[in-house]
Amino acid sequence: MNAGIIREAAASARSQPVASVVTVLMIVGMILAVMLTTGRTVGAEQQVLGSIDSVGTRSITVRADSTAGITTDVLDRIAHIEGIEWAAAFSAAVDATNAALSDGTRVPVRYLYTTQLDPLGISGTSALPGELAWASPMAQDRLGLPETAGGIALTNGASYAVTGSLDVPDFLARFEPAVFIPQPDAAGTEPVNILVVIAETPELVAPVSEAVSSVLAPEDSSKVTIDTSETLAQLRGLIQDQLGSFSRGLVLALLGLTGGLVAILLYGLVMMRRKDFGRRRALGATRSLIVTLLLAQTAILAVIGITIGTAASTIILRISGDPLPGLAFMGALGILTLATAMIAAAIPAIIASRREPIRELRVP
Amino acid sequence: MTGMDESYALEARDVTFGYVPGSPVLDRWSAGFPTGSMTALTGPSGRGKSTLLYLLGLMLHPGDGEVLLDGRPTRPLSDAKRAHLRAERFGFVFQDAALDATRTVLDNVIETSFYRADRRKEAINRALELLDLFGVDVPPRRKPGQVSGGQAQRIALCRALLNEPGVLLADEPTGNLDPVTTDLVVSALRDHARSGAAVIVVTHTPHVAEACDREIRL
Repeated sequence: MNAGIIREAAASARSQPVASVVTVLMIVGMILAVMLTTGRTVGAEQQVLGSIDSVGTRSITVRADSTAGITTDVLDRIAHIEGIEWAAAFSAAVDATNAALSDGTRVPVRYLYTTQLDPLGISGTSALPGELAWASPMAQDRLGLPETAGGIALTNGASYAVTGSLDVPDFLARFEPAVFIPQPDAAGTEPVNILVVIAETPELVAPVSEAVSSVLAPEDSSKVTIDTSETLAQLRGLIQDQLGSFSRGLVLALLGLTGGLVAILLYGLVMMRRKDFGRRRALGATRSLIVTLLLAQTAILAVIGITIGTAASTIILRISGDPLPGLAFMGALGILTLATAMIAAAIPAIIASRREPIRELRVP
Repeated sequence: MTGMDESYALEARDVTFGYVPGSPVLDRWSAGFPTGSMTALTGPSGRGKSTLLYLLGLMLHPGDGEVLLDGRPTRPLSDAKRAHLRAERFGFVFQDAALDATRTVLDNVIETSFYRADRRKEAINRALELLDLFGVDVPPRRKPGQVSGGQAQRIALCRALLNEPGVLLADEPTGNLDPVTTDLVVSALRDHARSGAAVIVVTHTPHVAEACDREIRL
């Protein structure tokens, strides 16, 4: 669509201020209705699901006794399983204190085996691989390392420099206060105490759990326990399905209503302006140009309505303290509204394009 | 009357057309319209003068026969191609000016440039020249509803002449005009014919018919 058509469509919209304002208001009304009902529900749903997710709806935790015989080579086997977003193995905890305070508060330190350090806020490259520790803000506070710098002394006699602050994601909250020593060059023989696997979706928790279980290869399976969030995942699915179906039904009803109203309004407009379309046809406008003009005019008004409606509903939801449904929902609603308006405009546009000049221009 | 051996810009050959099956308004009607001439179509109401004009303007399809533009038949052309030809080759002046009351005078004059995808700035300059030439002394941003009937018809004439069309069709262009404006419009149509166009005017006004190079009575 070229600039000339957009200019002409905009001029045409300006030349019919009442119809244009009514069209924009209908779109604004629809966006407001959806955002303040379904959007609010979706926002609440996302908040509920977020709360459920924060306790680990997608996590699988394998705990192995030191004599269970699970070693870090399990990570290589897990890497071949589909549907895993993140996986890491942890050694058994070793107590540590601030190296400068031998009688300071003890915190548990674990060696960390994974290639996916980004979720923890740990830089992938290290000047001294395997020799540096990362502590969470809580651990730093307990250790007395307010500047995120210093050293720790482990009860096994080893000592490490703490060089960075650790971001502890919700699914690792159980390790707080957390101090991890990443081991990028693990030999594959290091004993694993805890293995954490995050599935890509809650629905994949059960099959991924089974697959992980099959590749653990423990020497003594009685010393291994697997905790999954399958029940939570099922609850999450139920909530999502029920709220989702309610939202979808309401959105479809509102879109249908608005689409119908836009179609009626445009049809009325075309009937009122049939002489205008007849003149355009007589002077050389092709049918496709007439259709394009009317669709472009509708698109311009719809975009204005969507923008105003989204801005107004966002302000209202913010003022009322309700959760926002998220950019994906708002984007999808905008696109769906635009598509509905265009579909609604298509039939009146085709009718307009078929006006016969002689019937409209001849004066009886 | 038809003079088939002449060089015609536009020609109707054995054209038959009717709105109701079995009662044609035009029955095997033929005529040629040479370049550089102004032709009056006259006759009583209901004889198909306007219908003929719309047939010649490629807005209607003849039931039988052929309309030829520059010697080439137009029947095989698609609707889009006919629309392009109307925008490119034709100029139209309608009975009641047929201006868009919601747009400005200037927008009305340059309307067809949009259908031809002409440069807007050049079209505006040409439109302003034409408005000045025809003495339309109203601000170009004014709406047609705020101008007199005579000025509206002159604005329609400016619109028709914007692309310097090879064929200009006018359907009773002076029907509601005072004598001074009538003379101005007729003079403009004649000048356009002298510049090499074929001008065809449907009229009931003897004075206008006399000003034409020839008259075809239906």
